[in-house]
Amino acid sequence: MAILLVGLFLILMFIGVPIAFVIGIVALLGIFGMPYTPEATVPMKMVNGLDSFVLLAIPLFILAANLMNSGKISEKLIDFAMSIVGPIRGALAHANILVSMMFAGVSGAAQADAAGMGKILIPSMVKKGYDKETAVAVTAASSTIGVVIPPSIPMIIFAGLTNASIGALFLGGIVPGILIGLGMMLFVYFIAIKRNYPKEKRVPIKRIAKLFLESLPALFTPIIIIGGIISGFFTATEAAAVASVYTLLISMFYYKTLKLNDLPKIIMDTLALSSLSLFALATASALGELMSYYQLGAIAQDFFVNNVGSSWIFILIVILFFLFIGTFMDAIPAMILFVPMILPTAIEFGIEPVQLGLIIVITLAIGLATPPYGLVLLLSAKIGNLSIERSFVAVLPYLAIILVILLLIAFLPGLAFAIPKWLNPSLFG
Amino acid sequence: MKRFVQALDKIQMIVGSIFLCIFFLVIILQIVTRHLGISIIWTEEVANYSFIWAILMGSSVMVNRREHFNFDFIQRKLTGAKGATLNIVIDLILVAFNIVIFLLGIQVVTEFWNYTWATIPEMKMGYIWIAIPIMAGTMIVYSLSHLMNHMKALKSGEVSS
Amino acid sequence: GCNTHQVDADGDGKIKIIAAHNQTSPDNPYQTGLLKFKEVAEKESNGTIEVEVHAGTIGTEESQLVEKLQLGAADVIVVSPGFMTQTGIKEVDLFSAPYLFNSYDHWLQAVDGEVGNKMEEIINEKSNNSFKVLGYWTAGVRHYYGKKPIESVDDFQGVSLRTQTSGVVSDFWTSTGAIPSSISWGELYQGLQQDVVDSSENAYPFFVQQAHHTTSNGKYITETAHDYTTRFFLINGEKFDQYSEEQQEVILKAAKESIKAERESTLLQDEEYKKKAIDEGAIVNEIDRQPFIEIARPILNDFAKEIDVEDLLKDIYELDK
Ligand code: NA
Ligand code: NA
Repeated sequence: MAILLVGLFLILMFIGVPIAFVIGIVALLGIFGMPYTPEATVPMKMVNGLDSFVLLAIPLFILAANLMNSGKISEKLIDFAMSIVGPIRGALAHANILVSMMFAGVSGAAQADAAGMGKILIPSMVKKGYDKETAVAVTAASSTIGVVIPPSIPMIIFAGLTNASIGALFLGGIVPGILIGLGMMLFVYFIAIKRNYPKEKRVPIKRIAKLFLESLPALFTPIIIIGGIISGFFTATEAAAVASVYTLLISMFYYKTLKLNDLPKIIMDTLALSSLSLFALATASALGELMSYYQLGAIAQDFFVNNVGSSWIFILIVILFFLFIGTFMDAIPAMILFVPMILPTAIEFGIEPVQLGLIIVITLAIGLATPPYGLVLLLSAKIGNLSIERSFVAVLPYLAIILVILLLIAFLPGLAFAIPKWLNPSLFG
Repeated sequence: MKRFVQALDKIQMIVGSIFLCIFFLVIILQIVTRHLGISIIWTEEVANYSFIWAILMGSSVMVNRREHFNFDFIQRKLTGAKGATLNIVIDLILVAFNIVIFLLGIQVVTEFWNYTWATIPEMKMGYIWIAIPIMAGTMIVYSLSHLMNHMKALKSGEVSS
Repeated sequence: GCNTHQVDADGDGKIKIIAAHNQTSPDNPYQTGLLKFKEVAEKESNGTIEVEVHAGTIGTEESQLVEKLQLGAADVIVVSPGFMTQTGIKEVDLFSAPYLFNSYDHWLQAVDGEVGNKMEEIINEKSNNSFKVLGYWTAGVRHYYGKKPIESVDDFQGVSLRTQTSGVVSDFWTSTGAIPSSISWGELYQGLQQDVVDSSENAYPFFVQQAHHTTSNGKYITETAHDYTTRFFLINGEKFDQYSEEQQEVILKAAKESIKAERESTLLQDEEYKKKAIDEGAIVNEIDRQPFIEIARPILNDFAKEIDVEDLLKDIYELDK
């Protein structure tokens, strides 16, 4: 039965049925085969899956990012980043990474970053003599930082599934996110020298200060979000709403780049983008119901505790597993389906849920840039007009960097969590 | 048919967007009132249910616009009649799935119509569950219109080849 | 599967019962109760009944379990009055009212006696036989815990308390002078520590497991005993009617045993976790409940009128005389 369903899953996916529907069809047929469970469970579970306050953060963070992009705030950030890294060889590539780190502080998803920044940065990099591969790879790879540096939609989903503290997960993402960014910049530095990529004129300090002041209101967004959540002033979902209001206000009244009649389109774009991942979430909830009915979590726990016995090997297996799943599935359904399955084992092995969450989120971030299902890679390749195959080869070294940081974090949890624990011990209860 | 589908797409997108705005405003209201020391108990529930409506309507429009992510390497390889046939198969799968979801959705709506909201007992849960058959029903309409287009393509493809 | 309204899927005289509660911890009294149900039902039926127990695996939300019971995706569930109310049966909400019962014995007399029978009839009738009450379980007795001990009603003045923010529970606390606040259970530990709320209320096993008593705003426990909690142990009535007479008898017997096991386990845990709280530095005091009962009376009377259960309330009052 299980093998039949897996086979069906692969066939439907392979012939081109949308993944969200493939998941739903498999759930429906799976439940059809169970004599004691009514099929109506499928639509019921789809709605139940969506009926969770934390999920509301998803469209709201996407809205905030869309407002930033349409409000031309992203362009200010690019100018500011350029003014800092200008004198370094490969300046535009460095700026690309740096601006992704800044944008990550507003956006909880990576797509908005790849789409918004990529549209500006890929063409200008190509124009300045960077090869297409580098332009596409840097854009795709750096935008994955968006889900590691808080806020982060996958972290919210993970917290919702496990009751782990969102605040703790968010804080835990800061150090690895910055390390990934710095690691990529180091790599870019070497290839820039080797390939003799251009640098830009040094910008006078006065001009940098001016650009900094102009970017300040935008850079302030992450401080509001993270500060608000940590201080208990508002919840993660509310933070997303506050971020949207804030970006709306600054782009309308401070930068004056957004007009009221731009709003309907931004809202519809937001709904469109959110519906895609959330519909997959809904059908994945139905399939998750099937899996939890068979109590796969307990089975997995038995298996790992009896056959593996080492939390290190277990973590490695989790990483490999989510690397594999992430190649063909979006982070949200992947977590809905498999986090409940592995959580009992992780707890048995004494791995803290926030630590597990951070590992899974970073692993799935890599999946954002791997084909066949790697949204930011697809987006960047499309903007750069480069084939998926060549884009993927170009992005591999950057993914290796993320993997190295991931392993560091996985085996030295203190690296990610020492500072947040010191800042706010109560978050880690 | 084409104009009907276009109108449906537009209306559904607007309805979804209005629900998105509602839950956005309700969350803002929740933050503001809480810090003013007033507690409005229904904010979370209204926000959740508007969200469900928004996402289900949006998902349906995304079917019309063929935005739901799929692997298209086979579709890209197959051209002409073979490509059109594959598309027809996919359309039929979506129609079949949505007919089942539509019928099951109706069953869920009738079973739970009279359940009440936790914070506003005057409101019925039926108003939420009914979004399911509406979503599935409109997805059927969109998939059928795609199906008709692909049939036309198949016919003209056969004539020309 | 396709034949969910037919109880015996393979026609071999054997039935399978899916029993579920929403707690994931294996040593929760709900689990003890359902395992007892399984043990007795399977033994007494000579294998013609199979019971599958789900501890949170088919729903950690009570509302989902109720929906599953109605749909036939679950056969036996445990649920609290608040969620039952949402199925459109407003009468059950009486059991969530504060100071309805005066002692554990009072509660026992009510639910195991005429009051319990009447409620059973109401639920069965109003749900069109979707829900049949097999018995009444408990989730312990709820007390106040907060940043200061309560010595008299006046001490509640201006104290923010995490509890329900609507309905009869909220009305009662507002009348004591407390300010009901809404904060999710998962965020409460942090909320108590960071002064978001001054206090909360719950039964020992629940808040001690969450270490609320170790926070600055959870340290003082006053045994207000404002709620001897009721949980409904339900079976799908339509399916029950289709079981053979022998099977029905076995199920009722298993239910009886499970009720005993669940209540014993809850009482035991109440003691255990109270001791744990004291060992870990919490300070417990008792309080004269009479002034609170007097505050609750008129609120209860109005509420009973509103949900049309004045006769039930009267019966409950009489039992305490
Ligand atoms: Na982010
Ligand atoms: Na970038």
